[in-house]
Amino acid sequence: MATEDARYRDSSQYRLWSFSPTQLGALREKTNAAARARISERLLSHPLPTTTTSTSSKDLSTPTSNANTPDPDGNSTPALPEFLTPPEELTLVGYYTSEILRASEALHYADEIKATAAMFLKRFYITNSIMTYPPAEMFFVALFFACKVDTGHVNLSEYTKIFNKSPEEILAGEFLLCQGLRFAFDVKHPYRALRGAMMELASFPDMQSDLKRLDAAEARARKILQFSPLMTDAYFHYTPSQIMLAALSLADRGLAERLIQETFHFVQMEGNSADTPGGGNNGGGGGGGGGERGNKNYRANEEKAKVIGSQIRDKVLGTIEACRDMLNRELPERKEHWTNKPFIKTQITPLRKKLLKCKDPERWNLVELQRVRREQAARKMDSDDEDDASGGRRVKKEEDGDIFGGDLGHSAKKRKVTMKKEEDLFGGPMLVKEDPFGGAKVKKEEDSFGGFGGVL
Amino acid sequence: MAGPPTDKVNRAFPLDNFAINNTIPRSTSQHHTIRVDSEERPLPTDIIPLNKPNRTTKFAIMASRKPPTTSRPGGVIAAPTTTSSGLPTLSSDDMCPICKTIRYLNRDMEFLINPECYHSMCSACVNRLFNDGPNQCPYAGCHRTLRRKGFRSAFFGDLSVEREVDIRRRVAQVFNQVEDDFQTLRDYNNYLQMVEDLTFDLVNGDEATKRKAEGELQAWEAEHKTEIERNRRAGKEQDEQSRRRLAAEREAARQRRLDAIKEAEEEKLEKIKIKEMEIDSLERGGPLPDQQRVQLKRRGNKAVEAAANLATAASTTTATAAGDGVGKLSIRGLKEKKKEPRPEGPYDPFGGLDLQPSRYKIHAGLKHPNVDKYRGDQAHVTGGYSFEEYTSRAMFEAFAGLGVFIEDEKEVGIGLVASEVVGMGAAMAAVGGDAGNRMDLD
Repeated sequence: MATEDARYRDSSQYRLWSFSPTQLGALREKTNAAARARISERLLSHPLPTTTTSTSSKDLSTPTSNANTPDPDGNSTPALPEFLTPPEELTLVGYYTSEILRASEALHYADEIKATAAMFLKRFYITNSIMTYPPAEMFFVALFFACKVDTGHVNLSEYTKIFNKSPEEILAGEFLLCQGLRFAFDVKHPYRALRGAMMELASFPDMQSDLKRLDAAEARARKILQFSPLMTDAYFHYTPSQIMLAALSLADRGLAERLIQETFHFVQMEGNSADTPGGGNNGGGGGGGGGERGNKNYRANEEKAKVIGSQIRDKVLGTIEACRDMLNRELPERKEHWTNKPFIKTQITPLRKKLLKCKDPERWNLVELQRVRREQAARKMDSDDEDDASGGRRVKKEEDGDIFGGDLGHSAKKRKVTMKKEEDLFGGPMLVKEDPFGGAKVKKEEDSFGGFGGVL
Repeated sequence: MAGPPTDKVNRAFPLDNFAINNTIPRSTSQHHTIRVDSEERPLPTDIIPLNKPNRTTKFAIMASRKPPTTSRPGGVIAAPTTTSSGLPTLSSDDMCPICKTIRYLNRDMEFLINPECYHSMCSACVNRLFNDGPNQCPYAGCHRTLRRKGFRSAFFGDLSVEREVDIRRRVAQVFNQVEDDFQTLRDYNNYLQMVEDLTFDLVNGDEATKRKAEGELQAWEAEHKTEIERNRRAGKEQDEQSRRRLAAEREAARQRRLDAIKEAEEEKLEKIKIKEMEIDSLERGGPLPDQQRVQLKRRGNKAVEAAANLATAASTTTATAAGDGVGKLSIRGLKEKKKEPRPEGPYDPFGGLDLQPSRYKIHAGLKHPNVDKYRGDQAHVTGGYSFEEYTSRAMFEAFAGLGVFIEDEKEVGIGLVASEVVGMGAAMAAVGGDAGNRMDLD
């Protein structure tokens, strides 16, 4: 096994945030279904007070407003709203991702920060439904937190001034975001990899005369990397180097293929002449002077073939081709598409309207949510102290649900139950060993709040 | 002439300003004043040796024995005024307040107190008053009935301290729980606080609180008799154990010393022997080189032997330590040590990860215009920025994970191809076979 691959497999990006397309689809459906079940349960048990008709539903400039959306049908029964489907959720997440890219571009943030923020948002909304937590809020949180992670720290007060937000609104979602990211903050990007590939290409003797071509290809590939992999699921399905090569092949197919051919040059020969240093050079006959890279003299032929042989080359080529197709769907030229007025009007606005109707009544307001949690935690600590001081005399506490005027009573109890049921701080395994698509995901959704109720 | 010396004595007895007996000779009174001053230094009360034998105070001064002449036997005398704490201090080393005998006249005079009321008197008075059975305390206003048996000499000069120590001892006998008996530290602290409150009431409270506290104490004692007894026994056992351990340690140290002396003697003998051999060889004409080597070897052997001895001794001591915890130098209060880790090779910070690149090579030809323009940049160069580091990192990222096929690996496991694994059973087997890796996903 190639040492580079072994090292990549150690990363949290591979361990926690890489999925096959089927797995990713299943995860999203599970998240959606869990959110649906929970929200409908909450809506039914605590019908919203205002379900009267109103015609002001056109005004949807602030999807985060806490006002209850009127029911256009005038139906006063607590009928369930229409929920977003997984593809619809995906579209909305895509829209907010493009917004993050747009905002960070306006603020001249570094490429890494932009990409990290976008990936944070995308990762967060894999295990959390967009109906549960408000995307328009998480969007600011993700960008702020990405600045922290990628050493581009911005002052919170300055940051809030830019977006006209209050610091509480940013900070309220911060821990929630970390939790949703499963505390894996390191997002591996293909930008430096592109630089490395360019160095390698430029070191080929026959490329020296073609430096202009390299520059142009790099510029174009960088442009693609700044947008396409972030708007697609490429980060979940491919490794940074594969994404980089796919982007390079979109920019200049010849260069990408050349690099792959040079890398996977090893030809297993009968005479084993490749074992000698000289043989290594001969073996890399496909390329020029750089043909001997990666050739370990004393390694068995089979091992070498596995790392840089032609068989793996074909497979890498196939993977890069698939990644290329994926990136091709969201080329940088489509940036305008996401800000296109008609597109927003016809695609995004209806979805946002729909989202407001089926949002989670209990978790939509992040500031309030955090305040409630803090109070609960403080009260829990208080009661613990009191118990101790009075020598075990237990003081009967009022129910937590009273904070929202009894509105939360039911779920607060339920939260307690779930807390006892599973005290996994990280909300349980995302995938179960025996059954990769088993019921663990639903449980995680259920418990993610309960598990932290007492921690905050 | 009785005036001035009396004043002096009174100053020296700030608490016992009762009338000085006229029979005291002036000269002795002055002499006593000086001695009392020196004896009255307060004892360090923060160190309270609870279980030390009572101090016997003997003062070797002149003066012959003189029988008590004053005050009728058994008569009640005017009580000396007491301290703010309600008790007289045992300052009257030199005069019994009952019979007015002074030490000058009776150098064996010993003052006794009874823990009933802590009024001090000389042993002669005690014998005189209480030999015939219980009697009332001779101090004015004190109506307690005292018995001969209860009298003892005080350990502390300040009788209020003596009394507090007594009370504390009694409370500690009743409340003898240890920290291990409690579930949490907080519980234990609460318990200690409760005990301390009770003690304070007993020591400093007024009559009513004292009586109440005493009642509580007795009630508790009666209620938890068996428990107290059990704890007492446990404490005793522990004391016994530590005593035995100390004795064993002392014994071991003695043994070591003996061994060391013996060894030193042997070495001395050896030295003399070697010297003699040298002289012998000189006599025979010039030191033989091989003989000298033999000597050196012998010395070396000795050192090796000593080291081996030390090692075996260490191992045996550890063995005995595991057995009964005696016979070795030990630091008390340390937790049992875990088994020693195996000696391991040089530390590998990457946990066995091979950092040798397999797909690319770092060579000087790797350049990029955007990097090169910083090579002359003061801000980068001065700070120690390593361009090689950047190059190797960029190269690593360009090739890391090229052979990682997420779709296949996440579906069926590393090194397998999804399309090749046909059927659910085979897929399950593959996942099971790669369980170690899948565990990482959680």
